[in-house]
Amino acid sequence: MTNGTTNSVNISPNEELDSKTESRVLSVEQLNRQIRQLIEGELPSIWVQGELSNFKAHSSGHFYFSLKDAKSQIRAVMFRGHNSRLKFKPQDGLEVIVRGRVTVYEPRGDYQITCEMMEPVGAGALQKAFEQLKMKLKAEGLFEATRKRPIPTLPRHVAIVTSPTGAAIRDILNVLNRRNKTVRVTLIPTNVQGESAAPLIVQAMKTAFQLSDIDVIILGRGGGSIEDMWCFNDEKLARTIAASPVPVISAVGHEIDFTIADFVADLRAPTPSAAAELVVKSSEDLMQKLRLLERLLFGAIRKQVSTDLHRLRALNGRLVDPQRKLQDLIQKADDLQLRLNHSVLRYFEKRRMALKLATQKMPRPLQLLERWRFRVQKAMSLLDGLSPLRVVERGYSLTTKGKTIIKDSTQVMIKDELTIYLMKGQITAQVISTNEKESPWTLKKN
Amino acid sequence: MDFEKKLGRLEQIVQKMEKGELELEESLKLFEEGVKLSRDCHSQLNEAEVKVKKLIGFDAEGKPQTENFEVED
Repeated sequence: MTNGTTNSVNISPNEELDSKTESRVLSVEQLNRQIRQLIEGELPSIWVQGELSNFKAHSSGHFYFSLKDAKSQIRAVMFRGHNSRLKFKPQDGLEVIVRGRVTVYEPRGDYQITCEMMEPVGAGALQKAFEQLKMKLKAEGLFEATRKRPIPTLPRHVAIVTSPTGAAIRDILNVLNRRNKTVRVTLIPTNVQGESAAPLIVQAMKTAFQLSDIDVIILGRGGGSIEDMWCFNDEKLARTIAASPVPVISAVGHEIDFTIADFVADLRAPTPSAAAELVVKSSEDLMQKLRLLERLLFGAIRKQVSTDLHRLRALNGRLVDPQRKLQDLIQKADDLQLRLNHSVLRYFEKRRMALKLATQKMPRPLQLLERWRFRVQKAMSLLDGLSPLRVVERGYSLTTKGKTIIKDSTQVMIKDELTIYLMKGQITAQVISTNEKESPWTLKKN
Repeated sequence: MDFEKKLGRLEQIVQKMEKGELELEESLKLFEEGVKLSRDCHSQLNEAEVKVKKLIGFDAEGKPQTENFEVED
């Protein structure tokens, strides 16, 4: 087989692979299956303690997460059937003990813990560190509301401390551009990924402070795991933010993510987009306020001008044109005269009417005459009855002294000369005596 | 004068004028000032576009050096 080399060269590659497959070369699938059998056989049921990280409750109901400690981490899954029995809400940073099996997901060659049970073990280490730093800074008064400076109503120049390639800058610029506002933006690029980025962010903040004309700093990054955002839980960064010469808006991750930077910033925006909206929204409010002030301004001047004009017209009319006033008076006089004439006419008319009415009420002359004659006859018959003649006819007489008719004996004195009128003739007599008491009329009366 | 100060001054002018105790001459003067302020504020609010620069460092005199920044899509 001098041609052995040649022969071996001539062996088809497939043939060679086939032979190797048979002896010791495995397919990926075979390897993964062997690993799976090995691991799952060796570790049928285990207990593991670690900190939850990258926790995701999938819409399918399954939980996906990592368990980690200071040096290592492992993927884990807890299916719906098991996790529905949990009595607490798993979240990143929580230290837990799980019981489960180590399983291999063959298509990807991943291994993971499939958890059947999970129990919390106090607070996770990261969470503990976070709480400790939070308490410390809070005690120092770094989170006090009184320290918070107001965000300028219309920032002219905004510094953004974030990654030039991250989601945060893109989101912020999207919002600012869409609203088309007058803002100058200076990006101060920095790494914002993970714990190691903290000193870089501190440096970037200090760089931002050197820009003389900025009004506000937005410090942010997009969403991520709690480890991704850990750089914002740095004590030095917190103190740097507190020392900022201009207000700082923090905008880290999503609404649910709170970092130390959020507590110490002058304003915490739930997301980078929200931070941009905070900056722009105020300018919309200002536009409204400006429009209102304009309306009031124009209203005020219009009112004053019209009031003054009115007053001016009134003055003008009185001062400049006395002739007009005279004419007014003449006209008024004319008017009064007219009214006077009218009332005089009306007076006479009224009187005329009254007379006419009275005339109509007056009886006709002939009737009147008749009525009068009747009344005269009546009066005459009465007179007739009263006539002294009639009395005298019956034997009575009339005694007079001079022209006085004597009715009482006291009217006469002894020797008075009296005239007595009879039916026929008259007697002149002289009083011999008088007696007040003796009279037939008196007796009769008694 | 920055925007807030302008707006504050405008507010002050309106309040003064609304009291109606001013001579016409004085009112007209204030009105003129107010119109100018509001015009300034408007143009400040309506300036066209967001200008984005990226800080790349400081020169020897400490002046910031920037370059235009475009978001990578």
